[in-house]
Amino acid sequence: MVSSPTNVTNGVRPVGSMQTPLHERLALWAFRAPLIFMVLFFAIPMAMTVVFSVFERTMFWMEPGFTLTAYENFFFSARLGNFLNSMKYSLISVAICFVIGFPISVFVRKSIPQVAQHRVVLLFILPFMVSEIIRVFALRPVLQRNGLMNTALTNMGIIDEPITALLYTHTSVVIGEVMSFLPFIIFSGFLAMEAVPKFIFEVCDDLGVGPWRRFKDVILPLAAPGIFAGSVFIFVNGLGVALLPNILGGAGAVNAGLIATQAISALDFPLAMAVSAIMMATLMTLLWIGHKLFDLTKILTPLS
Amino acid sequence: MTFQTPPAVEVRNLAKHYGDFVALKNVNVTIAAGEYFVLLGPSGGGKTTLLRTIGGFQKPTSGDVFLHGKSVGHLPPDKRPTTMVFQAYALFPHMNVTQNVGYGLKVAGLPKAQIADKVAHALDQVGLTKFAQRKPHELSGGQQQRVQLARAIVLDRDILLLDEPLAALDAQLRKDMCLELKHLQEKVGITFIHVTHNQEEAMTVADRIALIANGDLVEVGRARDIYRAPEKSFTASFVGENNVLKGKVSDANGVSVTVDVAGAKLQVAKRDLPVSTGQNVTLSIRSECVALETVNDSNAPTDGLSMLGAYDESVYLGLTTSHLVRLPDGTEMVSRIIADADDTLPVNGAPVRLRWKPTDIRLHVE
Repeated sequence: MVSSPTNVTNGVRPVGSMQTPLHERLALWAFRAPLIFMVLFFAIPMAMTVVFSVFERTMFWMEPGFTLTAYENFFFSARLGNFLNSMKYSLISVAICFVIGFPISVFVRKSIPQVAQHRVVLLFILPFMVSEIIRVFALRPVLQRNGLMNTALTNMGIIDEPITALLYTHTSVVIGEVMSFLPFIIFSGFLAMEAVPKFIFEVCDDLGVGPWRRFKDVILPLAAPGIFAGSVFIFVNGLGVALLPNILGGAGAVNAGLIATQAISALDFPLAMAVSAIMMATLMTLLWIGHKLFDLTKILTPLS
Repeated sequence: MTFQTPPAVEVRNLAKHYGDFVALKNVNVTIAAGEYFVLLGPSGGGKTTLLRTIGGFQKPTSGDVFLHGKSVGHLPPDKRPTTMVFQAYALFPHMNVTQNVGYGLKVAGLPKAQIADKVAHALDQVGLTKFAQRKPHELSGGQQQRVQLARAIVLDRDILLLDEPLAALDAQLRKDMCLELKHLQEKVGITFIHVTHNQEEAMTVADRIALIANGDLVEVGRARDIYRAPEKSFTASFVGENNVLKGKVSDANGVSVTVDVAGAKLQVAKRDLPVSTGQNVTLSIRSECVALETVNDSNAPTDGLSMLGAYDESVYLGLTTSHLVRLPDGTEMVSRIIADADDTLPVNGAPVRLRWKPTDIRLHVE
């Protein structure tokens, strides 16, 4: 802005040309920062994933172009079956986690004194103090042919032959997923129970509502958004974390994450990108359906 | 009260301890069927504990609760002939009004048509027919409490427990709801037991009031008696605005007792109370029964029904004005008068006489 001559002669800067103070300009950027972050680290990589997935594969990298070879490679091979299978087994993990974990969060909310509740929930963070690789690896000696599980079962006379299906199969991957992700359903279940006011249990006592109805008619509908969020988290990880099937899985017992990783090892970058893009599309659809069903914004609005 | 039908509620020697804390000590109370009974008392006095014990939400440490003559100590809340209206707006947030009211019947396994009929009738009784499809968050506080009432009466249990049902409402709404509660009780004819710390609320709705403080049942009586003729000095200090005077008996012979209070000899009816000369007693006079007169001399009156004091200040309360008078021993007495007489106020420190009728002063021996 150019100041008028009169003002300059008087030595006074016109009000209009006054610069906004530094901290105000910074404050403005503080609001823009999350947007910039999301664009830089979320939107652009996602777009690039889709763009790279249609590039031409070269010997060690890829070159711009448009081809659907990568998608062909995915849909017309065992990969599609493996991908669908890994979705199925992720769903099974979610179900097992829910069945084991959610009652724990209901119990913590209902039967533990308010002051101790958060401490009890924190106990479930303890497993994270050990590296996940080590935790998952430790399952091998437990589940393998001569492992702890088989020895114990044989010694108890429950089985005659060791169960070999315990390791390097979908079963072991599911076991590993439940072990790794159980705390998440407990956390999200605990938060979801915030939407279930405590007086509800007394009203149920008064009306004579039994435990199953109480769960089905009252707790589940109220906690649904939170439970859905926790379940999506586990499902996504079940689908995407390559580590678990890498250590515990075997032939066919892979997930989308491992398929992509294997593609990268084979230097087939477009294929890895295509797998990732398909995974993202699947998850977006899933979230959209969940939002339509449960209104996920509710998770963030506690009941008044 | 007839003796053929057992009382709706009979509480015998009920006590409740939380570790060292005694919430209720040895409470006995009998509530007749069809009565509107109020448990009144200061917060933390044990009234809610008593109500929740009657409802089966808490187990007593000792003592028994009989409902319609049957001991119910072993029964859970839903197996008792009681149902509770909670203080919080305790509705199922995800169900609409009809579903909220009908849920108890659905759980009980009634056929759908019958549930619909009963719910419609209950909603009609609390005046919420138009709101049947609303969700709780679309209702005002008063309406939410009415939904709770409907949910309770629809169960056809004949003792309704109300735990500070109006505490969360604003003053005007509370007054309206009080009357509605009273009328609803008359309409449905079941026993209501209502817990409150609000004296006006208690007086509006109650057939009888029980005063509960420090885990003790202090006094039971009709609202009028509790207000006009309190038996215990605690009742006098909690209900209404009473002047409570401490004194020593100087003469206890005859139908009236002479008590020394701050240098004056006051006469009070003995009412066959066990008093003897030299005993420390308490006197109570409601502030609206105390008349204020300006005097010129400072001679102590000898009629036994008045006292001298120094005028302190006046507090204008709209309908009434409270005049504060300091007695020679430093105690403050209040004279409450319906008048805007700000032109004739005595000056601060001026000698005044407080006078009352013989029937207005009461003796308490504890």
